Amino acid sequence: MADMEDIRKAFADELSSSETFAGLQQLKVKYLGKKGVLTSRLRLLSTIPAEERPAYGKLINDLKILIESALEEKEAGLKKTERDRNFALEALDVTLPGKYAVPGRSHPLSRVLKEITDIFVNMGFDVEVGPEVELDYYNFEALNIPRDHPARDMQDTFYITDDVIMRTQTSPVQVRTMEKRKPPLKIISPGKVYRCDADVTHSPMFHQVEGLMVDTDISFSDLKGVLEIFVHRMFSKDTPVRFRPSFFPFTEPSAEIDIGCILCGGSGCRVCKGSGWLEVLGAGMVHPRVFEMAGYDSELYTGFAFGLGVERITMLKYAIDDIRLFYENDTRFLRQF
Amino acid sequence: MRVPIEWLKEFVDFSMSPQELALKLTMAGLEVEGMESIDGDTVLEVNVTPNRPDCLSVLGIAREVSALLNLTLRFPGSGITESGESTVRVEISDEELCHRYAGREIRGVRIGESPDLMKKRLEKCGMRPINNVVDITNYVLLEMGHPLHAFDMDKLKGNRIRVAKAGTGSRMTTLDGAERSLPEESLLIWDAERPVAVAGVMGGADTEVTSGTRNVFLESAYFLPSSVRRTSKALGLKTESAYRFERGADIEFLEKALDRAASLMAELAGGQISKKEDVYPRPFREMSIKVRYERVNRVLGTSISNADMVDMVRRLGLGVSAGEGAFSVSPPSFRTDIQREIDVIEEIARFYGYDRIQVTVPKTPVGAEGKDGLYRSMPGIKESFRRAGFSEAINYSFMGRRMLDLMNIGEADFRRKTIRLRNPLNEEEGLLRTTLIPSLIQNLVYNLSMGSKDVKLFEVSRVFIERGGTLPEESHNLGAICFIEKAPSLWKEEAPDFYIVKGVFEALMDDLKISDYSFSRSSEPFLHPGKSCDVMVSGKKLGFLGDLHPGIVEGLGLKISRPEIIVAELYLDELVPLAKTSRKYTLLPRYPYIERDIALIVDNSLPAAYVMERIRSYSSELMEDVTIFDSYRGKNIPEGKKSLAFAVRYRSKQRTLTDSEIEEVHKKLVAYLAEKTAGVVRGA
Repeated sequence: MADMEDIRKAFADELSSSETFAGLQQLKVKYLGKKGVLTSRLRLLSTIPAEERPAYGKLINDLKILIESALEEKEAGLKKTERDRNFALEALDVTLPGKYAVPGRSHPLSRVLKEITDIFVNMGFDVEVGPEVELDYYNFEALNIPRDHPARDMQDTFYITDDVIMRTQTSPVQVRTMEKRKPPLKIISPGKVYRCDADVTHSPMFHQVEGLMVDTDISFSDLKGVLEIFVHRMFSKDTPVRFRPSFFPFTEPSAEIDIGCILCGGSGCRVCKGSGWLEVLGAGMVHPRVFEMAGYDSELYTGFAFGLGVERITMLKYAIDDIRLFYENDTRFLRQF
Repeated sequence: MRVPIEWLKEFVDFSMSPQELALKLTMAGLEVEGMESIDGDTVLEVNVTPNRPDCLSVLGIAREVSALLNLTLRFPGSGITESGESTVRVEISDEELCHRYAGREIRGVRIGESPDLMKKRLEKCGMRPINNVVDITNYVLLEMGHPLHAFDMDKLKGNRIRVAKAGTGSRMTTLDGAERSLPEESLLIWDAERPVAVAGVMGGADTEVTSGTRNVFLESAYFLPSSVRRTSKALGLKTESAYRFERGADIEFLEKALDRAASLMAELAGGQISKKEDVYPRPFREMSIKVRYERVNRVLGTSISNADMVDMVRRLGLGVSAGEGAFSVSPPSFRTDIQREIDVIEEIARFYGYDRIQVTVPKTPVGAEGKDGLYRSMPGIKESFRRAGFSEAINYSFMGRRMLDLMNIGEADFRRKTIRLRNPLNEEEGLLRTTLIPSLIQNLVYNLSMGSKDVKLFEVSRVFIERGGTLPEESHNLGAICFIEKAPSLWKEEAPDFYIVKGVFEALMDDLKISDYSFSRSSEPFLHPGKSCDVMVSGKKLGFLGDLHPGIVEGLGLKISRPEIIVAELYLDELVPLAKTSRKYTLLPRYPYIERDIALIVDNSLPAAYVMERIRSYSSELMEDVTIFDSYRGKNIPEGKKSLAFAVRYRSKQRTLTDSEIEEVHKKLVAYLAEKTAGVVRGA
């Protein structure tokens, strides 16, 4: 019986000095193999007196289990050591930059145009579009701006022929829409417009979003409501809004909408010219004459229209001070958005 | 309009600060755009909208201030002492264009300097003092808003004034020294022999008041706004006088302005004032406009009382008589902009204050129509290009002929069917774009000049093609340009730029779920004939892509290491309707697949797509998919040949396939391909 204790000790010594998988395998064969130490002891079991057999058999078995688990444990330890060593060998320089396809950017005007459009679409406005090369009739006459009217000075026009021009505003879309659809009407028309003018704040082409709402009972107070929601969603819900009288030939009463200067918070700066206010929208109740020319009953229907310049809003939003940057398409500029 | 506060106070007494006044005016529709301090006084810069010519004077602004603040308005004195009849006879030949012409002679004036106050006020308003007589006409213009003109009476031939159109061949030297040929339809002031002034626009040099002038004939008239505007535009002459006449002068008040100027001349330059000559064939007729109380509140969303409405309108200087359900308004001659009910409603809104109108939300229900197709698909289309590293450009819709020439676009090409601007900013921006490529090339050139190495840009915009209609055809194109300066980079993965752009096209098609497209060699004149293709769907060309022709790249004079510039254009209006918007789920496969490769050596000129097509169309219901994974020329491959390698995937819907049955199918396919492509199976 003491024999077992000697075997255990001998195994323990050999195990502690064995540091390779091959060594472990040899040990396994030596103790547990078919001709192994323990197997041969088991075979000798029959030579032992019957009454001692169970106890001796148990001793052998216990030792077998012990050796098995010790071998497994040692092997796991070896595996871990080897993996750890490999980790160090395989280690990457994690500070090297990753590889990814650098995505391109939306043009800042597109971003803002989409933001504006989405706000109105979420309020239930439909998007309508129309031609950029437009008849003088739709761009001016149908909007209550006859030839020889001084209001034409407000918009320097590119001419193609006497009757065909580059639209100076997206309002002609409103007229075209009224000609094909009956009220109630709730539309916006985003798009490019053209004026022959070019400097730091004027571009021969720029973007507008105009809106029109017509129904049997639309009032100036509704105009205030819709545009206030727009300003609050576009800028922030704390942005002050003010409506003041102005003039557009196709609306009456007409209004210009100022917001509290988003750069100085209203205390006065270079951008708001010290006034604390920034003009961002033009609007008004649709002039009855415009309804009449489009074939709407101006007694039955009232409505409001509004328009805003996308460049202006974008310049304010991103603090851009030169409108020409939008059309140079310098990738260093575009990447900033 | 510049308004000195001290001058304003001559007509209305107010105590508020210039800042408070500026805010008050701004919120009443007379936007004060700026304020300037000059010699202890404040000058307001008021933006007067085109509908309010009555506010183009100090007195006009004073009238608004008096109405807004409920203060008394004082008119400038215009009492005069007359002596003798006017010797100048006035005749209006064209009553349509001249509704009234009045004048007085001031005899025996001494031309000299104006008093300091007058000079200072002119200067504050941005005018240069000249001499007392001319200054007085300008002074009264600024003060009362009515343009006057002083002739040297002794230079008027025949003591006659005739108002008539120019007719053919009229010429005259205007006060600015320019000799002008006058448009036939323009209205002129004539003496007995010749034109002496362009009516309402500018006087003539021949009858100018000079230091030697002794006798003056002073004109105060009303000319038809549209006529003055046409003439002023035709001559390119913008004057203070024309500015006011084209917006509408006050036909009644003009005699007050005449008297005021005459009396100032008598006072400051000496001289005797003659009786008035006044021809007034089209007298002012007062209108009566019915305004319904209820309508006012309905349009504005307010609940203003009847009495308040009437009071506001009265304070604005409009004639009012209250009635049951409505009141009637008679606008005075200085408010001819008020013509119908809505004009009065606007006056009430303005006076009441927009800030006092409540905020409501319209009750109109949401419509059933949504965004149109292109707007719905646009964000996805742009996204395909952004994902691939292309940033979005926005260019002007203009181009020059030079770029079309540079791109070798032939005269018969549809891109030569251009729309030409009559008044372009410059020749390079004289045509509307028929293709987006020229702008993108210019963007590339610009970016390279700024030192950028990689330029990948796309633009979605309209192009304009002349098709003989009243308006051109406008369609939406997507253009792209790609230039990558090959530089050492950390991680390597190279594909020719051509395939990078082609890949974006394919990704876009995948996004739009369009599968029946193909690429074929392009014959675009500006593309490399061997490195370009057209995108075709059912025989229709939907766009192209390819390397810019080396000759064109050379012409650009770029300093770049390699000439591969890829350009592409897609016709979105044709493409987008093909997109499959409805999606339907198909059952996922339940059994595993087996994959087999084929490598073929074929003629270099044989398109890979041809082989792919043969495999796809091979009739075996077990074949599921095929992909190409190698295209190789060079070592181990004979001259003029290339090796193509494909992976074919087999799968059954009913059962798990066995290797041996696929072996048989695949063998047949390989044999079939070798025959169809005259190819040699590699490794066979």
